[in-house]
Formats: sequence, C-alpha cells, structure tokens
Amino acid sequence: MKQVLIIDDARDRAAWLKASLELAGFAVRWLSWEQVDEHSIQAASADVIIVDANAPGRDTLEQINLMSATLEKPVVVLGAQMDPRSIQEAMRAGVSAYVAHAIQGEDLKSIIHVAAARFAEHKRLRDELREAKTQLADRKTVDRAKGILMADHGYSEQDAYARMRSMAMSKGKRLAEIAEAIIMAKELGA
Amino acid sequence: MNHAGEILSTDGVMSKVPTDIRTIAWAGGSDAPEKPNLTIGFIPLTDCASIVMAHELGLDKKYGLTLRFSKEPSWAAVRDKLMLGELDAAHALYGLIYGAHLGIGSAKRDMAILMGLNHNGQAITFSNQLRDKGVTTGELLRNLIKAEQRKYTFAHTFPTGTHAMWLNYWLAAHDINPLNDVRNIVIPPPQMVANLRSGNVDGCCVGEPWNARAIFDEVGFTATTTQAIWKNHPEKVLGTTREFIEKYPNTTRALMRAVLDASRHVDTLANRLKVSNIIASKPYVNTPDPVIEGRMMGIYEDGLGRTWQDPDCLKFYDDGQVNFPFYSHGAWFLTQFRRWGLLKQDIDYLAVATQVNQIPLYTEVAKSMGVPVPDSTVKMETFFDGMVFDPAKSSDYAMGFKIHAR
Repeated sequence: MKQVLIIDDARDRAAWLKASLELAGFAVRWLSWEQVDEHSIQAASADVIIVDANAPGRDTLEQINLMSATLEKPVVVLGAQMDPRSIQEAMRAGVSAYVAHAIQGEDLKSIIHVAAARFAEHKRLRDELREAKTQLADRKTVDRAKGILMADHGYSEQDAYARMRSMAMSKGKRLAEIAEAIIMAKELGA
Repeated sequence: MNHAGEILSTDGVMSKVPTDIRTIAWAGGSDAPEKPNLTIGFIPLTDCASIVMAHELGLDKKYGLTLRFSKEPSWAAVRDKLMLGELDAAHALYGLIYGAHLGIGSAKRDMAILMGLNHNGQAITFSNQLRDKGVTTGELLRNLIKAEQRKYTFAHTFPTGTHAMWLNYWLAAHDINPLNDVRNIVIPPPQMVANLRSGNVDGCCVGEPWNARAIFDEVGFTATTTQAIWKNHPEKVLGTTREFIEKYPNTTRALMRAVLDASRHVDTLANRLKVSNIIASKPYVNTPDPVIEGRMMGIYEDGLGRTWQDPDCLKFYDDGQVNFPFYSHGAWFLTQFRRWGLLKQDIDYLAVATQVNQIPLYTEVAKSMGVPVPDSTVKMETFFDGMVFDPAKSSDYAMGFKIHAR
C-alpha cells in the first residue's frame, strides 16, 4: 500500500480526495501549506505527494524536495482545467503528473502508480548516469596519476598501477582518492 | 576579452549558423508569425514590466502578434507550463531555464533563453527583529549566528533561481554557510512580507516590489541590493523551449522584436512613472503604486534612514547590454549550481550555455532593429567581494570557493 500525502488549503476538497483515495486502498495524510516544512514532509514519509496546480507553495515544496536527497518524491499536480489530452501530454513529458481535480478515486489510483513508477525510472536513469560519469572521471584521474609515477619514478604502467592499488587497500581508500593525492602532491612540488 | 577566439565572438557565431536557418523567417515568401496569439507567463514582480508593456503599448500588434498574459502562482507552474506548451514563453528566473534544461528537480526538456529582460533591482531584506538585535549588516549577522545556538531562517524564491544564488553568494561571502549555518527555505514572493512580520523568516532575497513593501509595511529593511553584490547582474529572461523556436521561427522573432521595443521604452526614466502605474494594477503586480514607483525610478531608501539615487537600479535595455544573452552569464549560474550541489559533476559550462542562450537568433533580430550588439559573447565579471569570474576558467571557478556544498 502506498502512502499518499495531500497538501491543500481547501479543506473540503482535501477531505473528499482523502476519502476517495482511502477507498482505493491508499494510506493518506493531509497537511495545509502553512504546516509544510522539512520536518512535516519527513514525518509524513509519503511515497507520492499530491498538490494543487495553483498553490503558490509548490516552490516551497520544490526546495524541500531538491535540497534533501531523502525527501525527493514524485509530486502529482491537480489542476482544475486539465483536459484528458493535456494530462496525457503531461505524463508523456514526465512533468510531475498533471491531473484534473474531478477525476475519480479508481482513475487516480492508476495515475498515482504511473507517477510513482515514472519517477522511480527517472531517478534510476539519473543515478546510473551519475555513476557512469563518476567512473569515467575516476579512470581519468587514475591514468593521470599512473603517468606521474611512470615519468617521475620510472615504473612500468603495471607497477605504477599495482603500487597505487596496494596503497589504496592498505589505507582503506578508493583508488581514485590515492590517484588524486598523487596528482596533488605533484602539483605542490611543481 | 575574446578568450576562446572566433566561436565566442558574435560574428563568429553568426557565421556558424547555416544560411537556411538564418533566412528561415522568409521561407515561403512570408515572415508572418505562424502563431499570432501567444500566452505569456509572468510572476507579479516589478521586472515583468517590459513584457507587459509590449502589449500595453500595442507593440505586439505592430509585429503581428496578440499577447495574452497568464499570472502564475509559482515558478514551478511557469516551468511546467512552458514544458507542456501551455505557455508559449515566460518572464522567468535565469537559473530556472537552466534547471529545466538539465532536469534538476523536474523533467528535462531542451530550453531556450531568447533574451535578457532586466538587470539589477532585487534585494536582501532583514526583519525588524534582526534590527532590534542591532544586526544590520552581513558581518553583524555572522557574529550573531556564531554566537547563538538557534538557527536563523532565510528565504528565497526557487531552488535554481536567481534569488537563491544571490542569497547564497552573499551569505557565503560573509563566511556564513547558506546550507548549514541557516535554514534555507523558499517562500512565494507575495507571502514574504507576512512571513517577515510573523517572525517565520529572519531575512529574504526577493525581487521588487517586495523589499520596498517590507519597508512600507514597517516589517523589515534592505540589508543590500543585489546590484551591490554584482553590478548589472542578469536576472529575468524571456524563456521558452527549443521546440517552440523550431516550430515557430517567425513568431519567435516577432515576440523578440516586440519585447526589445518595449525594453527600450521602459528603460527611459521619463517613461517609468507611467509604466509603474500600469504594472501596479490588479491584472499585473496588484500593489499600491508608491511601492513600485520609488525603486523603479532609482530612488532608494533602506528603511534605516539612508536614502540614495541608485544609478544601478532596474535596467531593461541599457543600449542592448541587458538583452544580449551572454553565454558567460549562463555559465555563471551553472558554476553556482555546481557550487551548491545542484549539479553533482563538473560539466562543460560554456557548452551548455551555447545550447540554451540563443545568441545567433538574438543577434539577427537586434541588428535588424538597430540595437547594438557587443563584440564578444562572453565577459569577465567582478563581484562585491573582489572575486572575478573568468568564463574561460568556469570549472576552476566553480570548484574554487571556500564555502560550498559539493
């Protein structure tokens, strides 16, 4: 079961939405915008957050989500005038998920699941890209350090690599960190 | 200051644009806008003046367009609606366009900055509660923060926005880590004054008229203007998507012409009283005229008794310096994204700026209107703390700050 957090100042609307989502099997919490800060968002431990498209507080939520890696959540945005075509367009574009207010509980259920899945996919791709970029940067650093050891100490490429590796293991550090230290030491002496 | 040679000179860039794209505006023998009715998003702030006046002065009609304005409740809404095509273009925070282009905190979509809308004219306001503790400057704030256990709260307007970058830069230059030494939050601009009054926030960085309004309502004072942090800094831009430009080349040019014309008009001090009256009205900023007029005319008071005529107040044109979308400005925002951990890796800062900032297009439009265009697409910048940004060394600059959050 997914935890859903509704942030809305319109009490009636929030109550209706809450009841409708609970019927569809979600655990639902509700906050007014005034109550929104990093602590209340943390405490709600939601899988999905639902907000109104016209809430000025959306920017407040963006800051909380973006500045804390652990609070990054899919946000479903409810708009009054969304027609089915623009909802589809929004989902395709991956813009949170724009959904019409009038939509019923069961439909909302599938939208929430799609939003959560899309978000997870987006996050996975981004993490993979980040990982790949770090690996590439690490390899460049290691190559540079290897070059320094070869030029300054006359080691073969294999020896230079083996020495860095054994130092990394004995110091409990990553190979790239040892390589960085070698490059910095070289720059200091240069 | 032409560091990277030909590619970074405006002539060099123009020569790289294929002739068929340069002349696409006349494809089919017509340069009539493909989409004459446009919806332009804006946030109620004084610096929405030039886009509003493009319509109020009938300049949209002059270029075959009808502009309709959509007052947006949040910057997130501006970004999402641009991406969805519900807005054709918008008055946008410089960094917001870059955040959307890189997919920071949102979906990723190729974005475009058509031109700058204004320089200067934002400020950092402290609450009167801080004044009552004798805290009126960055140095005194640092002393207070080091001495007291409680965390003070500072607000800006959007995580990738300009006010976040001005506030963070200014606090860090005073040896205050903006992400650890204070609570760093976002408040919608129209709610800033109420939050200062209630004590929910101790200070904020926001666009006008809200800093002037804090003084008017006697809840705060101006600790610094942003032009005092970085003289003639870029601020709001005319933003859209890459897709829009490609789909509607004539419309894009017509829109740029109308806004450039309006920028010239609004920049003239003699016109600004009238402009202030129009943008203060209900459909736009919706605030009492005097709150907008003063700072729009360059007449500043800080709320502590100092008054001055500021030659570096809001600028909308400045012989085209304001509107030319320098690649180096885009690169600067990216270095700050890196500095504050919004970017997790080093990137080619200038290369991303050349994707987003539409200098070839701007140059073509500006030259056709007799608007001066600078010789170089990049320039060096000097900040109030003496730090110099050399765009050719963006990577070293991004990594060279003592206080950062990478």
